[in-house]
Amino acid sequence: MNKVKLSIAVLLSSITIALSACAQPVTTESENLALAAHYENEIKAVSSLNEGQQSPDTASLSSSQPYETSSPQEMSSPQEMSSPQEMSSPQESTFSLSAIVPYAGQPYIAVNGNIPYFEEEDLIAQSYETYSDLDDLGRCRAACASIGIDLMPTEERGNIGQVKPTGWHLAKYDIVDGKYLYNRCHLIGYQLSGENANEKNLITGTRYLNVQGMLPFENMVADYVKESENHVLYRVTPIFEGNNLLASGVLMEAESVEDKGESILFCVYVYNVQPGIIIDYATGESSLDTSTPETANTPVPDTAATEPSTSDDTTDPSTSGTAAAEPSTPGAAAEPSASSAETVIEPQPQVPQEAEPQGTTYILNTNTKKFHYPSCSTIGQMKESNKEEYTGDRENIISRGYVPCKKCNP
Amino acid sequence: MIAILCVDNNNGMMFCRRRQSQDRLLREHVIHLIGLHKLWMNSYSKTQFINTDSAQILIDDNFLEKALHGDYCFVEDMDISQYTEKLEKIILFHWNRLYPADMFFTLDLSEWTLEEKEDFTGHSHEKITKEVYSK
Repeated sequence: MNKVKLSIAVLLSSITIALSACAQPVTTESENLALAAHYENEIKAVSSLNEGQQSPDTASLSSSQPYETSSPQEMSSPQEMSSPQEMSSPQESTFSLSAIVPYAGQPYIAVNGNIPYFEEEDLIAQSYETYSDLDDLGRCRAACASIGIDLMPTEERGNIGQVKPTGWHLAKYDIVDGKYLYNRCHLIGYQLSGENANEKNLITGTRYLNVQGMLPFENMVADYVKESENHVLYRVTPIFEGNNLLASGVLMEAESVEDKGESILFCVYVYNVQPGIIIDYATGESSLDTSTPETANTPVPDTAATEPSTSDDTTDPSTSGTAAAEPSTPGAAAEPSASSAETVIEPQPQVPQEAEPQGTTYILNTNTKKFHYPSCSTIGQMKESNKEEYTGDRENIISRGYVPCKKCNP
Repeated sequence: MIAILCVDNNNGMMFCRRRQSQDRLLREHVIHLIGLHKLWMNSYSKTQFINTDSAQILIDDNFLEKALHGDYCFVEDMDISQYTEKLEKIILFHWNRLYPADMFFTLDLSEWTLEEKEDFTGHSHEKITKEVYSK
C-alpha cells in the first residue's frame, strides 16, 4: 500500500515534522502505461498515513487516519487500480517550526534551502490529488497533488461558505484588505486542482496569508503547468502548534516533474499572520494591535455584530466589530466566505512611473487587421477576443500589417 | 542597447534562481519585435528559446558587455542598473500577475519616457502588457 507518512515530535517548545512523500499510484512501467490508457491520467490513489511517532498533544500532523483521495472525474471502477506502493521507509527529512524565524515583514521564508522534502520517486508525470482526513480536533493536515493541466478547473469556483475550518471567526478590520481578517484558504488552490468546498482542503487563514503569501506560489505553478503542460508535484501542510485551532502557517513545497525542478522548485513557510492584528492561535480570536504605528490611530470599530448577509464570496456582510463572532446557530445566516486566493483581485501592477505613454490610443482588430480610434462606432461590433488596445506610434501598427479603418480614418 | 525584461506586479523577476514565468507568445512577440537586429541573452535564457529558430539570437554569458548600439538584450537573471549609460530603451513585459520573487527590477524609470504601451494575450497569461521606455 502506498503510504504517506507524517510524524511529529515535540522537542522542547518546537514542532518537528517528518514529512513524507505524496501518495503515488502504480509503480511499474507497464501498470503506469495501462493506467494512463485506461484513465487518461486521472488517477485516484489510495494512500494512508503511517502511524507516526505521535506526541500526545500534537495530533494535527500525526494521525493514522488514512488519506482520502479524489480526482476531478471519479473512476468508474476503482478496484481496477493497482494497489498503491508501500513506502519502504519513512523519510528522514524534517521540518522544524523552531527553525522558523518570527515574522519580520515578509509573507514567506525559504525553508531547507528552498528544496522540498520530496523523494525522487514521488515525481511522476501523472495527475492526482490527495487530502488527509481531519485530525481529532477537526484540523486539516497535508494536501498533496501532482498538478497537471487535466486537473485544473474548467469552471468558476462555487460557494465554499458552508465550510467552517477550525479557528474560524468572522473578524472585520478596516486595516485589512477587503476588511475580513480570515479567509477560507484552499491548501491546494482552486486554480490548480478545481477542488471546491472540500473541508479537508480548507483552513482558516488570514487575508495576508492568502493573498500575499500563498497566491503568488499558486500563480507560478498554475501558469507553468498551463504553459508547459508538464506536471508539478505540490504539497501544502498546515502547521499547528500543540492543540491550536489556527495554523501558525503553512509549508508549501513544489517541484516540476518532467524537468526535475529546473522550472519550479520551492520549499517555503508562509506565515499565517496579519500585520496590525494580534491573533490568539489557540482559538482564532483576534484584536487590533494598537501598539503598532500603523494601527495606533485606527479607531476600533463597533463590536455589535449584526446578522451577515447570505451572500458568498465578495459581498460585504452587514457585520461590524473588532472580531465579530459568526452566528452560533448553524444555517442562521451564512457568513461571508472570504475569497480564496485564486479569486482575489490582484493588485494593480506597480508601474515604474506614472506618466502616460506618448502617442495615440488605437483599438486593433486582430482578426481583420484593421485599427480604429477608440471612439469608432464599429468597435461595438467587434468581438472582445479580437480586440487589442494599443497606445503608441501609428507607424508601428502599420508596420505590423494593420490598415486604418475607412470609417474613422485613424 | 535595448533591454527586454519580464516583471510581475511587484517588479519581481526571479525566485530561487528561476524565472517567475514564461510564455511562448511573448517569445514570438520578441522575435517579431527585434526584426533583423541582434538579440543577446545568456545561456540561462537560451533554455526558453531553445525551440526558437532565429539567426539573430546570440548566446553569451557576458552579453551586456558585448551588446552594441541597436542590439536587443533579453535579461532575466541580471541587474542592468550598472549599464544605464549603454541603455537606449527598456522594454518591460508585465505578466499582470503576482509571483514570488527574490530578485527585482530596480531601475528608477522616473527619468525615462514611456513612449508605447500595448496589451496582448499570451498562451498561458490572460494579459501581458508591453511598455517601451526611452531616455
